[in-house]
Amino acid sequence: MKIKTESLILDLIERTRQNINQVEQLSQLTEKELNKKKNQVTWSVLECIEHLNLYGEFYIPEIEQKIEQSKTDPDQLFKSGILGNYFAKSMLPSGKMRKIKTFKDKNPNGCKLNKRTLKRFLEQQKQILELLNKSRKVNLNKTKTAISISKLLKLKLGNTFRVLIYHNQRHIEQAKKAIE
Amino acid sequence: MNPIEKLVEEIESQNLWEKELNLTRKEYLKVQGSIDTNLYFIVKGSLRIFIIDEFEEHTIRFGYKNNLIAALDSYIKNEPSDLYIQAIKKTELKVISKNSFNNFIWSSKKYIKMWLEIVNELVYQQMERERDILTKSPVERYKRVLGRSPHLFQEIPNKYIASYLRMQPETLSRIKKS
Repeated sequence: MKIKTESLILDLIERTRQNINQVEQLSQLTEKELNKKKNQVTWSVLECIEHLNLYGEFYIPEIEQKIEQSKTDPDQLFKSGILGNYFAKSMLPSGKMRKIKTFKDKNPNGCKLNKRTLKRFLEQQKQILELLNKSRKVNLNKTKTAISISKLLKLKLGNTFRVLIYHNQRHIEQAKKAIE
Repeated sequence: MNPIEKLVEEIESQNLWEKELNLTRKEYLKVQGSIDTNLYFIVKGSLRIFIIDEFEEHTIRFGYKNNLIAALDSYIKNEPSDLYIQAIKKTELKVISKNSFNNFIWSSKKYIKMWLEIVNELVYQQMERERDILTKSPVERYKRVLGRSPHLFQEIPNKYIASYLRMQPETLSRIKKS
């Protein structure tokens, strides 16, 4: 995938705005509704969002640090590469969602959760927006970040943002299903 | 009729609104880093414009029913802006793009005159706002804003007014009581 860097950043900002709005809407529900589980293994709204917070806690400081250390200049175009693109796109919600197995340390199933989980998510989104803004000054192709699932692989910063934000979209969709 | 009402009536009769938008309480019309060159008319509800500086929100301006609102920096420069615009309550908006708004304004001297009146008023308000911010005493800041926009205190929750007045919500409550 090849895309103008600025278009990618604007697209990711817009997706984040929508993610924020959906979670602001969920915030209007009672804690009881937010904790509702269809069954033992299916996540509640708060478990879905807590899962996102756990990823945010890894990626936000990682991205922040790599942007700060980056000595690169911005590029007009972002080229995702085949693997990076595949990985990012696999995060997007789709009609009939395939289950992806969750890593144990990112599984909030059974945690005692309250509305603070949503507040924390919203705070993280403002940090992500700030980082997207800062990323306009570096090269999204050449700046690389670690990923949470493997110590061997690195991702281009543009793909890291995509993974993080698409993944948010995915589990917000799931959260909405928990209260259907 | 004030100039905003007159102008909006003209836009209405020429069918220039591009779409309508509904926001529930606390939803965002705009977030930091986006480009937004639209002009919005508030049919119902209220909004606030703020920026975040070192994790603290600073309220810049409010928009009420029958006001126009825009991310003015983005609107003028066509560039990304740091502004957040958030609905305070359930809000209905009508949207016109900068482009069609400009075409409309320049189509008649009458409209240019109306727009100039609106812009003049805005410049005057900004001047007042600058003086608010430069006013040292919290009590004086409160009095200035109360005198100028008493309706603010009916429509907007205390915490946002406090942020607008650059004081803690507790300070505002104390001033209001005394």
